[in-house]
Amino acid sequence: MATELIPEKVNPRLPGGFHLPPFGVNQVLALVIVCIALWAVGTLWLAMQGASQWVGGWQQDIHIHVYLDAKRADQASLLEQELQDIPQVASLRRISADEAAIWMQEWLSDAGLQQQELASRLPITFELSIGDERTEFLFSDIRDTAMRFGGTVNEDEVSLAQVHDLLSQASYLAWFASLILAIAMALIISNTLRMTLLSRADEIHLMRLMGAKEWFVRTPFILEGMLLGAGAGVLAWLLLWPLVLGSSTWLSTMQVELNAWVFFIPLLFAGAVVGAFGALIATSRVSSGDAANSQV
Amino acid sequence: MSTDHPLIQMQRVMLRYPTGKTALSGVTLDIQQGQFVYLVGESGAGKSSLLKMLYGGVRPSSGILISQQTDMREASEGKIRDLRRRMGIIFQDHKLLFSRTVFENVALPLRVQGWKTERLIPRVRKVLEYVGLGDRLWSYPEALSGGEQQRVAIARAMTANPALILADEPTGNLDVDTARRVLDYLMDLNRQGTTVIMATHDLHLLESHPGRVVQMHAGSLAGDSHGY
Repeated sequence: MATELIPEKVNPRLPGGFHLPPFGVNQVLALVIVCIALWAVGTLWLAMQGASQWVGGWQQDIHIHVYLDAKRADQASLLEQELQDIPQVASLRRISADEAAIWMQEWLSDAGLQQQELASRLPITFELSIGDERTEFLFSDIRDTAMRFGGTVNEDEVSLAQVHDLLSQASYLAWFASLILAIAMALIISNTLRMTLLSRADEIHLMRLMGAKEWFVRTPFILEGMLLGAGAGVLAWLLLWPLVLGSSTWLSTMQVELNAWVFFIPLLFAGAVVGAFGALIATSRVSSGDAANSQV
Repeated sequence: MSTDHPLIQMQRVMLRYPTGKTALSGVTLDIQQGQFVYLVGESGAGKSSLLKMLYGGVRPSSGILISQQTDMREASEGKIRDLRRRMGIIFQDHKLLFSRTVFENVALPLRVQGWKTERLIPRVRKVLEYVGLGDRLWSYPEALSGGEQQRVAIARAMTANPALILADEPTGNLDVDTARRVLDYLMDLNRQGTTVIMATHDLHLLESHPGRVVQMHAGSLAGDSHGY
């Protein structure tokens, strides 16, 4: 029936409830700004993902190798015992010369080395698994213990483990930066909606004069905030792909493969939540009608 | 609604704004259902404040004001909203939404009450035909004359079939003939049972369209003639 009565090209836009307000230049600007902020957050976490992969952060254990010259084989058991006694060493494994030679042959596949000869030249190797909780002096303790017996520690692995620790600290900073950016985004959306609210103040006032409930007046703006945030989230996610694709060749040399798919839902959800929060801030500042503040 | 109780009951109503200005002082007035009441008086006499108080825009500082069985001093926000759904309000400057069509303007009170678009269109068309604007459903208010805009405002006020219409100088910006036509519609609505309370300066209209005349002066009741 309604379609018979509504002429072609006429699309009634009734205000309030679940009907969205008109989309204007303010909303486009807010979309772009929030998109940039969300893209910055996405880039930050993408970098964290890459750094974690680089230091082997996806593995549960971090291994440190201690080497002892084969000529000091008589010290090996004592060194093994002392290393085992260091509190934060979760487990210790002595790698046989043959196992090390096989691993090395695989690593240097085209070197054409004789396995037996290689095995005889390799040092005695201990593989230490480190627990999650590490004291400040753990690596110094390992290094000192190894040096007492004339051994050495794989310093590259120590550096990676220390970088892993730094990344753990950096993740807190990343969360903090994300929170600050989220607040900024909520305020940007709130300000944009505030402008929309001001431009539609007459309409809102009229609706209240006609007895509209507060949810009826505010819902369009909250929906708009959510849509703005979610739209900005999707755009920011799309803009992560040039970074991922552009750096893939370089990162593959470090055995790092970024995965942008895992950021789709978080960016979409974070955008929608931030947008809804911004809308709540904007609409909470709108006086609930002249009846509310007129008790004299 | 019971006919035993006045539609609006005021006893020693006083209204003082936060600025300290006393807009109304000791107003005692009963308005029965079905009356056509003119509020007359000089600018600042308290006509608009009285109307504003009747739709819950401001609340009495003291005294008793009961409108459609709602105590306006004690009523919650929800009660005020319910009350507003049972009344239509017409302003001197129409307060039409110029970015929306005539249909969207007139449909607003029904939309607020949750009507679906399918039900809205026949109802809005009917009230617009009543005020002679059945062919302007999809026009924008800026394309209408002042008189037509005021008729749209009347259509909007009557579309939810309210028991009470409050009109704050609805003819203030109109020429004499257009003002008479606007008043014809309000009188006709009144004959159909709607109570109309209208603030006006146009005293000449009282001769052609008689009603109860409540005279106000400096926030107080200065006279009350039942010409109705």
